[in-house]
Amino acid sequence: MIRMEGVERNLGRFSLRDINLCIAEGEYFVLMGPSGAGKTVLLELMAGLTTADCGRVTGVNGRALGFIYQDYMLFPHMDVFENIAYGLKVRKMNQEEIRARVDNLAEELRLLHLLRRNVRTLSGGEQQRVAIARALAIRPKLLLLDEPTAALDRANRLRTQKLLRRLHGLTGATFVQVTHDFEEALSLADRVALMMDGRLIQTGPPDEILTRPVSRDVADFMGYRNIFSGPVRQGRMRVGDWDLQVPLEESEFAYAAIRAEDILISRKPLESSARNHVKGRISGVLGYSTGAEVLVDAGVELVVGITRTSLDEMGIRVGDEVVLTLKVSAIRCFEH
Amino acid sequence: MKAYTGNGRRVFAGVFSVFGFILILVIAVPLLRMLLVVDATELSRTAADNEVRSAIILTLRASLWATLAALVLGVPLAWILARHKFPGRRVLEGIIDLPVIIPHTAAGIALLSVWGRQSLFHRFTGVTVVGTEAGISLAMFFVSVPFLVNAAKSGFRLVDERYEKTARSLGAGPWKTFFSVSLPMVRKSILSGSIMMLGRGISEFGAVVILAYHPMTAPVMIFERFQNFGLQYALPVTVLLILISLLVFIGLRLVEERRR
Repeated sequence: MIRMEGVERNLGRFSLRDINLCIAEGEYFVLMGPSGAGKTVLLELMAGLTTADCGRVTGVNGRALGFIYQDYMLFPHMDVFENIAYGLKVRKMNQEEIRARVDNLAEELRLLHLLRRNVRTLSGGEQQRVAIARALAIRPKLLLLDEPTAALDRANRLRTQKLLRRLHGLTGATFVQVTHDFEEALSLADRVALMMDGRLIQTGPPDEILTRPVSRDVADFMGYRNIFSGPVRQGRMRVGDWDLQVPLEESEFAYAAIRAEDILISRKPLESSARNHVKGRISGVLGYSTGAEVLVDAGVELVVGITRTSLDEMGIRVGDEVVLTLKVSAIRCFEH
Repeated sequence: MKAYTGNGRRVFAGVFSVFGFILILVIAVPLLRMLLVVDATELSRTAADNEVRSAIILTLRASLWATLAALVLGVPLAWILARHKFPGRRVLEGIIDLPVIIPHTAAGIALLSVWGRQSLFHRFTGVTVVGTEAGISLAMFFVSVPFLVNAAKSGFRLVDERYEKTARSLGAGPWKTFFSVSLPMVRKSILSGSIMMLGRGISEFGAVVILAYHPMTAPVMIFERFQNFGLQYALPVTVLLILISLLVFIGLRLVEERRR
């Protein structure tokens, strides 16, 4: 188990503060947060590649660990084979064993035909697989990955995610990965920690972070497209020129957040109690591969998520009058 | 915005070419002229002259020793300066650059005060480098080591520190990391820094002449012959030294190219 207790580290521009973290053996742990939140440094602290100003990191020292940087850091003066074999040569393993282990990994990662290639001539995806092979060659109990997919196109990103999941199952090692992409975190992680401005804001299973964000910033990062703010009186918050019913009684100032997918759109009001209905006019439609976001002007602009099918069936056009339904149970409230 | 016309481009290229050409002339004409005025038989007689030969060999050898010493002492310093921020780093960097700025005769005097016959060092050890090959190397080292250290330093600065961290994560200790990752990645910078330093050492006169008039290096010999016998007598040695230096550097540059 890796444990970080009260870890702090001053980095000039900003600092990591009050980092407390526990990662179980064999867990796939994802460290998530916007760029510049301090994720890479936290990973380096975990690996012992950087030292903390105060606090303790336990459970890593002396263990075989693999560290993969975002831009792979393949040694340019060595070919693919020598890169993968580096950690084994450091361990003074004999030539045949090195050969066997490298071949094995190269086969697993589809690198066999590239072993004698100069690493500078490889594609991004190939370079990444070499970096993974090099880290796995020493059979680490802990693999630390710094944004392994950030530099890849979408197809390669999905392929890499699949590969990482498979390798995690295969090796049984603890994986700690950094990403700024919450979709990726959701698809890979057993547990997620969200980091902002050098602090861990929320830690938990991905579902929990998605459905129960603890603050406005977390909700924003997790893709809550509609966030309102204001005082709450008798369970209602003034939004534009209407009252939003929220799951909070009284507050001087609060945020109310709802995901685009949790807002229903219809031509006529839906029959239901305990729901917020609001009329609006469609001001825009943004299409995506998986669906669409409909922008609705209801005094304030609301973002509504719908599938491609319903977009076609409803025949939605800019300027149309629609009714939006916001389930109270889907609204999250925070006071910070 | 004014159009970037073909005419404007021609004037631009023309002016730059002319300036560059003037610079080349300033360097090349004196060198070429020497080759033209020197008599071939005179040159071959000089080349056969033992005194001249040993002076040239001494010059090359002393500069090579200085460069090797700088590799051992200077590369680690370059790494420290490139990798670490610490109070006084700028001061250290300034000290490294000093020999480039100060007159080389002054450098020679400074060296004499530490290593000469009146120095504490000599009083305690009885050893002096004055008038020895070691003294010549020392003088060359002093004035030319900045070239190597600065080249190596910029080389190390260009190498992302994360390569070293990656090596460490794979189990390499600091020595292994340095010799298997950091050093090979700056091989080129160090090689070209060494070539610069070697050349600077060979050409050194001011500091060398103060520390060791004898044994005589080629630059000192050129000076001596010019002083005592005039231009005609200095010329063959000069041409010979230039030709040999050229050969050495073309050879080294070729090695450098091949390593790319």
